[in-house]
Amino acid sequence: MGQAGTIGYPRCSTSTVLSNGILSLVSAIPSVDSRLEHSLLSFKSTKPLFFAFKSSSINMEVFKRAILQPGPPQAFALQTVQEVIKPQKQTKLAQDENQLLENILRTLLQELVSSAVQSGEQVMQYGQSIDDGETSQGHIPRLLDIVLYLCEREHVEGGMIFQLLEDLTEMSTMRNCKDIFGYIESKQDILGKQELFARGKLVMLRTCNQLLRRLSKANDVVFCGRILMFLAHFFPLSERSAVNIKGVFNTSNETKYEKDPPDGISIDFNFYKTFWSLQEHFCNPASLTLASAKWQKFTSSLMIVLNTFEAQPLSDEEGDANNLEEESANFSIKYLTSSKLMGLELKDPSFRRHVLVQCLILFDYLKAPGKNEKDLPSESMKEEIKSCEERVKKLLEMTPPKGKDFLRKIDHILEREKNWVWWKRDGCPPFEKQPLEKKTVQDGAKKRRQKWRLGNRELSQLWKWADQNPNALTDPQRVRTPHIMEYWKPLAEDMDASAGIEAEYHHKNSRVYCWKGLRFSARQDLDGFSRFTDHGIEGVVPLELLPPDVRSKYQAKPNDKSKRAKKDESKGAAAQAEENQIATPASEVDGEGIRADLEASAAQMDVDATATGNISQGGTPTPDEHQKQSSDTDGQEAGQLEADAEVEAGMIDGETDAEVDLDAVG
Amino acid sequence: MCGDARNWDEDAYRESILKEREIQTRTVFRTVWAPSLNPNPNPETIVAASSDGSIASYSISSCISKLQSFRNTKAQHLLVAEPDYFVQGHDGPAYDIKFYGDGEDALLLSCGDDGRIRGWRWKDFTNSDVPITLQGKQMKPVLDLVNPQHKGPWGSLSPIPENNAIAVNIQGGSIFSASGDSCAYCWDVETGKLKVVFKGHSDYLHSIVARNSANQIITGSEDGTARIWDCKSGKCIQVIDPAENTKLKGFFSCVRCIALDGSESWLACSSGRCLSIWNLPASECISRTSTRASVQDVLFDDNQILAVGAEPLLCRFDISGAILSQIQCAPPSAFSVSLHPSGVTAVGGYGGLVDVISQFGSHLCTFR
Repeated sequence: MGQAGTIGYPRCSTSTVLSNGILSLVSAIPSVDSRLEHSLLSFKSTKPLFFAFKSSSINMEVFKRAILQPGPPQAFALQTVQEVIKPQKQTKLAQDENQLLENILRTLLQELVSSAVQSGEQVMQYGQSIDDGETSQGHIPRLLDIVLYLCEREHVEGGMIFQLLEDLTEMSTMRNCKDIFGYIESKQDILGKQELFARGKLVMLRTCNQLLRRLSKANDVVFCGRILMFLAHFFPLSERSAVNIKGVFNTSNETKYEKDPPDGISIDFNFYKTFWSLQEHFCNPASLTLASAKWQKFTSSLMIVLNTFEAQPLSDEEGDANNLEEESANFSIKYLTSSKLMGLELKDPSFRRHVLVQCLILFDYLKAPGKNEKDLPSESMKEEIKSCEERVKKLLEMTPPKGKDFLRKIDHILEREKNWVWWKRDGCPPFEKQPLEKKTVQDGAKKRRQKWRLGNRELSQLWKWADQNPNALTDPQRVRTPHIMEYWKPLAEDMDASAGIEAEYHHKNSRVYCWKGLRFSARQDLDGFSRFTDHGIEGVVPLELLPPDVRSKYQAKPNDKSKRAKKDESKGAAAQAEENQIATPASEVDGEGIRADLEASAAQMDVDATATGNISQGGTPTPDEHQKQSSDTDGQEAGQLEADAEVEAGMIDGETDAEVDLDAVG
Repeated sequence: MCGDARNWDEDAYRESILKEREIQTRTVFRTVWAPSLNPNPNPETIVAASSDGSIASYSISSCISKLQSFRNTKAQHLLVAEPDYFVQGHDGPAYDIKFYGDGEDALLLSCGDDGRIRGWRWKDFTNSDVPITLQGKQMKPVLDLVNPQHKGPWGSLSPIPENNAIAVNIQGGSIFSASGDSCAYCWDVETGKLKVVFKGHSDYLHSIVARNSANQIITGSEDGTARIWDCKSGKCIQVIDPAENTKLKGFFSCVRCIALDGSESWLACSSGRCLSIWNLPASECISRTSTRASVQDVLFDDNQILAVGAEPLLCRFDISGAILSQIQCAPPSAFSVSLHPSGVTAVGGYGGLVDVISQFGSHLCTFR
């Protein structure tokens, strides 16, 4: 969890996610032995200890006695504290009292450790006595137990135990630290409790990271793993601090290999170089998307390697022969790249698996969305990735033992990994879901939230409407699709110059009106509908509705077809624009698609409306009104919805009628 | 681009065109790894006999280094390797080559369509400082054997029958040749005299191997059988018929190639699209496998069998005939497979191509 850049793959806090095998093989562990055996002598406290009170040595004696006292801590711990500190409150210490106690305890701990070292005993075992076959605890665990008890009960400040543990690990040698860590692990449940965790998580993280820094990553693999496991359990799953948020790759994890062919042994050195050069790409996958040349090189190298794997499939016996590794007898955390080993490695199924899994991880990274647009692979690259992936999976399946099972598990792990990537991209949201707070109902009346069968109230009402109105379809008064002669009347009136209706009130400004009308015309009057291309919305209005002088304008003359065609050309663009606007569905009317001039007029109308009241009442709403309505309360919206639905029902009705007619004819 | 046409050499141009065309249709009939003189286990030199009668030696390491610079230029063509040394050994195709002895005084034996077996001093190949343009006819063979012609009625002579394969017995100082007149011949290297004639096959011979531990030779013939001969008496000891007891006549045809394993007790014998393995002490067929394409060369690698044929694949079988691996190789139809002690394999075939495959199964280099 500490360093998240294994194989340069953007890992999340997934020590639990990737199996140990893959992790270790690809992990970016430098082989520098960073073991720093802190001796007690070189120990220096990072925080000065205050000896505020002269009586500290006396107080310490009290604690020493307490440690030696048998029985559970609850029997005497609190009394001891009270005896030493004489607190203002009985059970909870104030801030400065806490500080005082902490100083005493830290000094005491230091004293205990130094005497343990002088006696040559293990720190955690110091003071252990074996009486009557019953082993009593050592002094230090005893002290820790008592403090832990006090912290848990919140008698003293919760961070104190963590402070002591940090001191203790810093004072101890690595060998003793193992014992101390064992103690920490055994108290994991208590330390992880919400109150304690909140007080001490940072100290704990620091302690663990310090330990990790002191350990050799090559030799103390097990202890490192223990610490990482502890961290993974101790911190919540969504803890961000261990996450490689930016997905930075550990590019320092270089796989070195020989550049010059060795003397005296026979090897295909070109292949050797091709094979190991793949690791450069695995180490830094981001570079592949940026430069296509690199990608080309990578794929060609990969093809050579895959061809070779394919050319020499491993038999089951070879798979069994190398089963030793499963017993972790020869478990290495980094590839050995000696050219002498090449032949052996290629015959080792687990080696092949490692390389193939690396490929899969890389492909997964390349396919993962959410990076910058330009980082996304191109279509051709996606194709290549896909074909490569299939080949790799096939090879994994072929590799004994139990290739199919292995592939399935890897697939599963990678799938989970994808989820982690998504989680990280969403900003690492916590997994704990807060329980929904129940609204306290003041007036006692039980208001049960009604469940809507169809999602919300309006839809449910619509659904029920049919049941409630069984004769709706036979009702002569039911709403039908309006006839276009009726429907277009208002617009025809607008077009009659003699009516003198001002342009801004024309119905053609209402896009909903136009859209509905066009749909009606398309079903009832195809000839009229086709005039739309030439004359726009006004051409669709049935000629019979228009006064003769206006009518002639829209009448198509058979002899001016050529003219019309020309006009078409010249008007083409404009007409198209108009069409686009008008043909937008009604739901978008209140969006941003309104023409500038419409907006202007609407604004003007707004003023008018406020001044003169709602002029167009009863008529079709103007765009502005429509906008207002839709942003209005639920009731109105519902009403509108109903209206729409009725229209829709009518239309369906019309369609079925037509079908019946056809049947009758046929 | 403007060319200077004043020094236009039409003949040279024509020649280069023809040469290129000829290379396209050339076939490498046999590749042989040269015995290495120093302890370096890497394969150094390979000798190829091809359909234009040339015998050429190539250095693997220079091919590889050329290949690298070649790859950088990103050309799609195959590497055209320049031989270290080449000799125009035969009129018509050269069918087989074999080393006789190793070390300083090794002879390179070649045979071909002209019915001759010629021996070349290998030392002259390696130590030659003749420029490549003058090579070809420059070297003279130290051994030149011609197949006898058959006498017909009224003293007419048959054409000289071709030699399809050769085998050697170094201890006995003999060369065995599989000849087109359905006879196998045994020659004495020292005297150049014909020692034994093995007569019995009813059609021409494709292949021959020497089983020196038992002083025998085994021949494979167009008549569909393989025969084991005793070298001393020249008599046929056993006839091996791969098609016997089987109804799959269609699969079987001539015995195209035969191979012996290191212990000389196992025989791989391919006839048409069938590969059969025989145990010689028990004289029993152990396994029969049918392959997709007809097998044109087989070879034992310990207890495994390498086979190439009329498809661009190098197949590895185990003794029971199960396919262990298949490696894509360059020649669309392969006529020869040869194995270096280090595990490197060379496949030669149509197109004049030689594909050198490393022990990992990766392609070391491919050239024509």
